[in-house]
Formats: sequence, structure tokens, C-alpha cells
Amino acid sequence: MRATADRAATAEQYQGVVADSRWRRLLAANGPGYLFLLPWLLGFLGLTLGPALVSLYLSFTDFDMIRSPEWVGAANYVRITTADPKFAAAMKVTLTYVVLSVPFKLIFALLVAMALNKGVRGLTFYRAVFYLPSLLGGSVAIAVLWRQLFAGDGLVNAALSHIGIQGPSWISHPSYSIYTLVALSVWQFGSPMIIFLAGLRQIPTDMYEAASLDGASKFRQFYKITLPLLTPVIFFNAVVQTIDAFKAFTPAFIISGGSGGPINSTLFYTLYLYQEAFGNFRMGYASALAWILVLIIAVFTAFSFLSSRYWVHYDD
Amino acid sequence: MTFRVSRRNFVAGGATLLSLSALGPGAFAADARLRLLWWGSQPRADRTNKVSDLYKAKNSGTSITGEFLGWSDYWPRLATQVAGRNAPDVIQMDYRYIVEYARRGALAPLESYMPSKLNLDDFDPAQIEGGKVDGHLYGVSLGANSAATVVNTVALQEAGVEMPTNKTTWEELGKMGAEITKAGKRKGFFGFADGSGAEPLFENYVRQRGKALYTADSKIAFGADDASEWFDMWAKFREAQACVPPDVQALYKDTIDTAPLTLGKAAIDYAHSNQFVGFQAVVKDKLTLNNYPLIKADSKGGHYRKPSMFFSVSAQSKALEQAVDYVNFFVKDPEAAKVLDVERGIPESKAMRDVVAGMLDDVGKIPLNYVANLGDLAGPLPPPPPSGAGEGQTVLRQLAEQVAFGQVTPADAGKQLVDEITRLLARG
Repeated sequence: MRATADRAATAEQYQGVVADSRWRRLLAANGPGYLFLLPWLLGFLGLTLGPALVSLYLSFTDFDMIRSPEWVGAANYVRITTADPKFAAAMKVTLTYVVLSVPFKLIFALLVAMALNKGVRGLTFYRAVFYLPSLLGGSVAIAVLWRQLFAGDGLVNAALSHIGIQGPSWISHPSYSIYTLVALSVWQFGSPMIIFLAGLRQIPTDMYEAASLDGASKFRQFYKITLPLLTPVIFFNAVVQTIDAFKAFTPAFIISGGSGGPINSTLFYTLYLYQEAFGNFRMGYASALAWILVLIIAVFTAFSFLSSRYWVHYDD
Repeated sequence: MTFRVSRRNFVAGGATLLSLSALGPGAFAADARLRLLWWGSQPRADRTNKVSDLYKAKNSGTSITGEFLGWSDYWPRLATQVAGRNAPDVIQMDYRYIVEYARRGALAPLESYMPSKLNLDDFDPAQIEGGKVDGHLYGVSLGANSAATVVNTVALQEAGVEMPTNKTTWEELGKMGAEITKAGKRKGFFGFADGSGAEPLFENYVRQRGKALYTADSKIAFGADDASEWFDMWAKFREAQACVPPDVQALYKDTIDTAPLTLGKAAIDYAHSNQFVGFQAVVKDKLTLNNYPLIKADSKGGHYRKPSMFFSVSAQSKALEQAVDYVNFFVKDPEAAKVLDVERGIPESKAMRDVVAGMLDDVGKIPLNYVANLGDLAGPLPPPPPSGAGEGQTVLRQLAEQVAFGQVTPADAGKQLVDEITRLLARG
């Protein structure tokens, strides 16, 4: 009995000592790490987390950028979900964009990655060239270029006229403008492609050798070996690209001149949010819009993760 | 690991810090430091900076930094700076936004500086009035202008169509437009731009019908039938190919360089008269200005002379007096007037107008004469648009596009326009 109590006491003391020295050891071991992390950490706290929390507060106010904000409760959220036709329009455009651009981009990226994986000469060169659009794609210059390509007298129509098609001004026609933006997004396939390429390299070649000895066709090899072994990479790319697509802003902003037109056909969610905040002085309302977008992205991502256990194959 | 600093490094670092702090506001500044913000093109920036240099030469110790952006980037930037308590001292302000900013307390009332610091004695009283909100003066007009059609004279001659006059009606313009398109002298070229979504043009139309866009107490001042007939008139122009098709018009982004006239798609376009100089700078063919078409031969009062833009002073400014002094210099100094020309509109001060009139070239004379000769085509200045009017303009453009692309009938569009604007005004 006594012995047990004694043991408990020493254990307690011991743990105290451990806790104390653990801190010290942690600091000694990781101090320099944290020091190096500090610039990022300060940026994250000051420029990301801080503003995010402020915007959460503002979303419950009527802040108009100039007068001090007044608390309005959930009024902004109620209005967005019940009485804002433009919210619905923006949501529709954004979902269309996500649903079209993400799969096409991934398929395209995978095809190019597989072509490059065939052991082409000058691989590093091609890899760099194909990656280039991803670096440039989000930029203003490319959006301006896109305007020129898809305008009524742009290059695309000049090419089409050779085969006898008189195309409209694609970027300024409400039925087509969104597709020019999807095309712009697909064109920036570089970063998922690089990741696919790395994923393809991980697949052991002896599997393919064994399969072809057994007489499996190329298609069957792709379907039974490449695709299943690549699912973790596909999953990662899909999640990242979906989040990116929800957040797309620059192309629509430049191509429509900030209006989201013609007739709201390119009114991305972020563009609507921007208009409300900076065009119509409704920073509080725009903050609420932003938090709803966060929620939507969170739901999509959670859904992807939940579904992943049924189709993502981790082979360890 | 210890961090050691040698004496030399310390001195060097200290000097760097000192020079950095000079960049911060006011630390080692001269007596007064003014910040200017305006929208416009590079030529406007050159003129503005030259006036700032003139002012600095006469007021030693003042430093002035100017910044300019395009129209659509300007308003987000201004709103952000005002919200961040970092507003520029002198703000270029538009008639459409002056109420929004003044009522929110972002602008300084200027009447207490008159007439000693700010002397507007020889201004047209109606134009001073245009800068007032709730009885206080918040903006000093930088020039008068009026809405106008810009006409490519060469294209009309090529097509064998006579110039429109101050008696031309919408009906006649429609016929002229169809003729220009039919003549087919240029590739993909049409009579006129599709103005169905242009607010000044629509406002002019309802004013000719004895109505207005908004009442002084922030209500809508036209009816669904006015709007429906407007949309219907344009639907007929479109059908007759008198104006550009909708996907061409939709390329227009409220800038001179995206206007159908500039892009070589139409012979006639719509603008504010002070933009004429800007249009002529980028279009090779000789241009001229004409008034908006009439709804019938003896119609009057659709136009008005309005302040093209204002200079306002920020309520947050730490150099209020200096800022007011700069504004006064901008609108009252003959040297400044010579530099500014009519690029921001016709000078409001009579003395400055005389200075400018004596030195104008042929291009500059066109807007001056146009505004001076409007006669009874011009009526009184409408009250400043209420908050929400900026969005009202967006709604008009959007419905016009929906009609043009065949998604809505003109009759329905008219009703929707009135409904939506009423809703916007109620929300404020």
C-alpha cells in the first residue's frame, strides 16, 4: 500500500521534472526552427489569421468602409440565403466553372504527364515549357491576351473562318463567355501535370512488364495499374484544383472589366464579393459572402475526404 | 549563438533606418505634404503633375505626391484608403459618388474657406451648386461638360450619309445608321454603338419626355413604360442593323479604348464632351461632337451642363488649409489653366475660360463650342444621384444586354428596370 503511494508520488515528481525539461529541450531543439519560421508565422498571424477573424466579425455588421461598423446580427447571412438573386447567379457561374474546369484540367494534365513519362528526350525542357502557363495563367497579361484571342475579330475566329465558320465574339457573348474562362483554366494544367508526372514515376515498371507478359493491353494496363496506383495523386490534385477554382478571380475580373458580364455570365463568386465590398460599399455584406464561400469550400473538401476511402488506394 | 554587431554595422544600419523613416508620412517632411488621387489616362496625369510642379514652385516647402488609376480601379482604391484612415488629401470626385462620400463624413465641407482661401466668385452658380450635398460644399468643379455623341466624320462621308445636326431625331438617326451599315465601306462596321445600356443616353431620353432618373428625395422618377419604349426602340435599331450587334457592344468596358468607335466598329458613339480630346487622340479619322438625338423635332431640355468631376478634400487630411489652397490654385491660376486646357471639361471660372479659349487648337475648340452652344437643348442640372444609383446603372446595362441577346422582351425589361431600381433605392 505504502509502496504504491510512494511510487505515485515519485511518478508525479518525475513527470513535473520531465514536463519542465521537455519544454527546455523542445526549445533547445526547435528554437532555431521557430526562429526561421518567425517571418512566415508573423505574416500568417498578422496578414491571414488576423484579417480573417476581423472579417468574421465584420460579417455580422453593416460596415460600409467609412463609418464605424454596427452590429446587425445574422441579417447579412439571412439576406444572402433568402433574398439575393445575384448570389444565386454567382453561385451558378462558379459551380459551372468548377464542375467543368477541374475534370478537364486534370484529364489534360494526366494525358500530357503520361506522354512525357514515355521517356522523351529533353524532358526537363518540355516540363518547363508545359509548366509555363501555370506560372503566367493567373496574371493580368494572360487575361488580356485571352480577350484578344477570343474577341470577335480575334485569332480564334480568324482560324475558324478558314473552315467556313463565322464565330461570335466568344468572350462577350453570354452563352460562351464562361467556356473561354474554362479553357483558360484548362490551359494552366502545368502544376497538376508536374505532380502527376512525379506520381507516374513512382509506379514500379516491373508491374507493367508483368502485365504485358500476361498479355494485358495498354488500355487495360492503364485501367488496372496506372489509375489505381495514381489515385492518391488524383485525389490531391482534385482537392487543390477544386479549391483554386472556387477562388478564381483575376481572369473574370480582367476579361469582363470587373462587371461579370455580359449578363452575369462571368460573375464569379469572388467577383460578386469584390463588387459588393469595393463597388457598393458593403464590406459587412461582402464579409458574410466570404464566410459562406469558406463554408462551401469546407463542405466540398470534407466530402472529398469522406468519399476518398472508397476510391483512393494507398498501397503501403 | 550570439548576435554581435560591430560599431560600423550599427552606424550603417542606423543610417538605413533613418532614411527609411523618411519615407513614412511626415517624419522628415517639408512644411506640408499633399497627396493627390485621381482617375484618368496618362495625358491627364502629365497635365496634373505639371500643375503640381507649378504649385510647388510658388509654395516652396510643399511636397506633392500624385497617384492615378483607371476609372474602375479608382473607386476600390479610394474606398480602401478612406477605410484605412489613409485617404489622400485631395480627391478627384465624381457626381455619382459625391453623396456617398459626403454623407459618410469622408469629405471636408469647404464653404468656411470661401471666399478668402477658396474663391469661386466667377463660377457659374449652378455649377457650384452641383458640388453641394445637404447644403454643404464638398466638391469644387474642375470643368463643365455635357453628354454628347462622337461622330466619325470620315466614315459618314465614305458612306454618303449627311452629318447629324442639332435637329436630328432618333428615328432619323436609325435610318442613317442602317445606311452606314449597308454601305459596307469598312469591314464589320455599323452605324452607331448600342447605347441602350448607357445611362446618360437613357437619362437624356426620359428628360426629353419630361421625366428624370431620380427625384431630389431619392425616388425613381421614370416609369416602366418609358423604359419599355426605350428598349423597344433599340430592339428595332438592332433588327435594322443600324447599331452594332450585342456581342460587339459587350466588349465595351467604360473606357475610351474599348468603345466601338475606337475599335473601328461604329461611326457614332456616346461620351462626355470632355472625353472628346481623348477620343480624337486615339482615332485617326476626324471626329466631331453632336448632341443626343431628339425624340421629336421640337424637343428640349434633355441635356444639362454638369461638373465633369470635382476636387474634394479629405476630412481626414492633416493639411486641410494647404489642400484647399491647392484646389484653389488648380481652378484659378492662369498658368495652371493653360496646362489643364479643357481635358477635364470647360473651366468653370470665367477668367480661366477666357485664358483657355485664347489658346485652344481645333480639337480643343470642338468641346468648348459644343457645351457653349447647347442652347435650350440643355435643361437644369438634376439633383446628385442617391446612394444605390451606381448599382442602378449596372442594372440598366444588364437589362439592356438581356434584351439585346434576346433573353427578355423590351416590355418586361422596362418593368424589371423600375422594380429593381426601386428595390435598390429602398436598400440604400
